[in-house]
Amino acid sequence: MKILNLMKKNMLAAVIGLVYMLLFLAAPEKALLSLNNSAYYLKEMLVILPVIFLFTAVIEALVPKELILRSFGEHSGIKGNMLALLLGSISAGPIYAAFPIGKMLLQKGASVANVVVILSSWAVIKIPMLANEVKFLGAEFMGVRWVLTVFAIFAMAQITDRLVKKDDLPLESQDPDIQLTIRESYCIGCGLCVRMLPDFYKMDGNRAVVIDRPLDENTRVAVRITAEKCPSKAIMLHLKEEKIS
Amino acid sequence: MDIFTLGFWAVALLLTAISLAKNKQKTFSAMKKSKGMMGSMLSQIVAIIFLIGLVLTFVPPETIRAYLGSSNTAIATLTAAGAGSITLIPAFVAFPLVGSLVHAGADIVPAAAFLTTLTMVGIVTFPLEKKEFGIKFSLYRNGLSFIFALLIALLMGVIL
Repeated sequence: MKILNLMKKNMLAAVIGLVYMLLFLAAPEKALLSLNNSAYYLKEMLVILPVIFLFTAVIEALVPKELILRSFGEHSGIKGNMLALLLGSISAGPIYAAFPIGKMLLQKGASVANVVVILSSWAVIKIPMLANEVKFLGAEFMGVRWVLTVFAIFAMAQITDRLVKKDDLPLESQDPDIQLTIRESYCIGCGLCVRMLPDFYKMDGNRAVVIDRPLDENTRVAVRITAEKCPSKAIMLHLKEEKIS
Repeated sequence: MDIFTLGFWAVALLLTAISLAKNKQKTFSAMKKSKGMMGSMLSQIVAIIFLIGLVLTFVPPETIRAYLGSSNTAIATLTAAGAGSITLIPAFVAFPLVGSLVHAGADIVPAAAFLTTLTMVGIVTFPLEKKEFGIKFSLYRNGLSFIFALLIALLMGVIL
């Protein structure tokens, strides 16, 4: 049973492993070539992953949530986009290295649009890569492609932001025991919860949002009442031992 | 290691030192959280890297070169964008390859389409992206990147 679970969790690894085994039997020289091809990427990963590990930890420990919200949040505007573009452009490593950083920023309040900007610019805009492009394809080719790509990245960010809501993203809460959230698409913005408990809710545009603060035994009861009173049942209160919506 | 990766390392180490000096406990608990997050990614990253090795064996750069140089620009552009989405060729291989084609007289539209999807669209890294950001986000980001890569390529054909 345990082995089956482990296999399920590492489905991709298991399938790839199987393909290699079959390839070694059928065409050993192709299998060796594939391993050789992988070596470069393996080295690249080993060089970059420890840095990503340090960065995610430092963002979590050092950078306050308010700063992320202000710099990269829903209302950071064009300045937030520019900052995201800069952050993505000065990075190093392949796009998968950007995934943990992007996820960490999302969890700390960055908008979907800005995370798209960071991921895309991380993948495409790299100074060593641009230099390489000038060398082999000319400055004009690089310059035009760069300008068009920047425009494309901003357009994609806006479109993705419209289409994908934060509820669609698999984010973990800061505190796994107690979790208070408002389902964005359900909230009608009546402001009842904000009037009842201004310490826990605030209006953000025409929707209510949760102010992040610890819930203890006493406040839990008050919060549960707001969840029950909410006319569109948008407030979700998850407790470890019980689930109330 | 190139200078940018070195710089990245230096900044990361410096920030970690600052974080440790400021609040040792908080830093360690943040590291624990990061470890959990990265740990669950690691097996998939390694699997993906070996998958890239396989893809490069069966779709070698020479094959892509043949498609990119095809005389029908529309078909060449679409196959170039498709090949760029599937493969992950390092930049120092991709640029000389595409450069030599363009110098030999190939159209720049498929060349630009290939270079843009190469880095922005990741079919191979899709499982990883799906796990971190959900299927909806990943589908839209990769789909939009593909469409915009084609647009960029077409516009480049008009401008240059």
